[in-house]
Amino acid sequence: MLERSHIQSTGFRNVGPEGARTGFEVRIRQANYRSSRLSLIEGVDITVDGVLYPADGNLFRLGDREYTREELNQATQTRLYVGDHFTVVVPKEGGLTRGVHLIGSAIRYRHPYFPPEFQPAIVRNERHATIIIP
Amino acid sequence: MTGFRYGVSLYSYTDDFGTVMTLDDAFDHVADTGSTGIEILGETSVPLYPEPPAAWLDHWFAQLDRYKLEPTNFACWVDTRIQIDRNMTVEEGAAQIAQDLRLAHKLGFKFIRPKFGVSDRELTPDPIWEGAVERSLDLAHQLDLVILPEIHAPTPIRHPVTDAYVKFIERTGTKNFGLMIDTGIFQDRPLDAWGGGDFESIKKGAPEMVYGTKVPVEHLADVIQYVPFIQAKFHNIDENLHDHQIPWERIVPMFKTLGYAGYLSSEYEGKRDPWVAIEQVRRQHALIRKLEEEFDAAILETANA
Repeated sequence: MLERSHIQSTGFRNVGPEGARTGFEVRIRQANYRSSRLSLIEGVDITVDGVLYPADGNLFRLGDREYTREELNQATQTRLYVGDHFTVVVPKEGGLTRGVHLIGSAIRYRHPYFPPEFQPAIVRNERHATIIIP
Repeated sequence: MTGFRYGVSLYSYTDDFGTVMTLDDAFDHVADTGSTGIEILGETSVPLYPEPPAAWLDHWFAQLDRYKLEPTNFACWVDTRIQIDRNMTVEEGAAQIAQDLRLAHKLGFKFIRPKFGVSDRELTPDPIWEGAVERSLDLAHQLDLVILPEIHAPTPIRHPVTDAYVKFIERTGTKNFGLMIDTGIFQDRPLDAWGGGDFESIKKGAPEMVYGTKVPVEHLADVIQYVPFIQAKFHNIDENLHDHQIPWERIVPMFKTLGYAGYLSSEYEGKRDPWVAIEQVRRQHALIRKLEEEFDAAILETANA
């Protein structure tokens, strides 16, 4: 089962070759009470130690497949299920340093049954998480 | 004397489900309240919705049998604003409803509740609802299912949204479409926590949801003939069985007086700390059963006087 916080401890790691990291990634559980068609997710903002990495620059990965924001909008028949998780891949030259970081996530859900002014609904979470290998 | 039927919607266990609770756990919690009905959320509770694995279907029926529970309502969604730049067509809406009718039927349900996208803050449904539902009535009839949009806060009973649904029933003469009442419309005191999302943002953006829609329970008489199922929404019941937002002491006698004998399916929507929902649902069942018994006892007393 998954941790209660949206952001998961496991899955927080640097990406790209050691010594020449291209970024980092964060694992997040489905934070909605029902599955979401990927076309209803308008991206995920990430912050690390106060630095914002806006949704537009990040990739969304479900299983083995990575999606840009436009590709999410096309994925009307692919679902992020409750009890499942996805990964946000954030480009950042050099990656993150070893140690504990304060991570924030803001998932932009479009709920068609909410009045238009509440779309997207932004679901936030913040916690400490640890990079083991720089 | 006819009585309520008691059930639980697995919506109550939001956030527990998938982190600290499995579907098997949920069956155990629901059955132990003395309920006879279980309500699920299709996309949440059914793995690989809309095509669950065969082994899961076998397990679903085995669990219903083991716990002596019957499937009641299957909650589903018509995501009208399916893409950021495009709304569903009537055909797509009808296809979505057909898919949910078929799956609900396969799992043994009697009702589906499609939640349509809305166009304003009074929750006026996307205009495709009418065509999409009308095209689904024959299939619902074949499968012996009733399609129920919900009357949900902040939309009251006396409102054009409800009127349009009633007009549809009268125009088509259908028995396969009705109304579901969400008891959140009777909320008459402010929320102290909200289990439907971020409390601070709803406080700021939709204060009417925090302070309550305060529908007079007498208005139920207008529509009760179209209501075969009720979602018993609540947020906080304390250790004295006092509900802090929903006036059950007025709601229960009104349902009884109007002869309602369908399900009250618990929908807890309060604090989302782990496992809190399990106990909150039990308190609600204790409270409503107590009020129902008091009402029945008073009627008996009058009859014997």
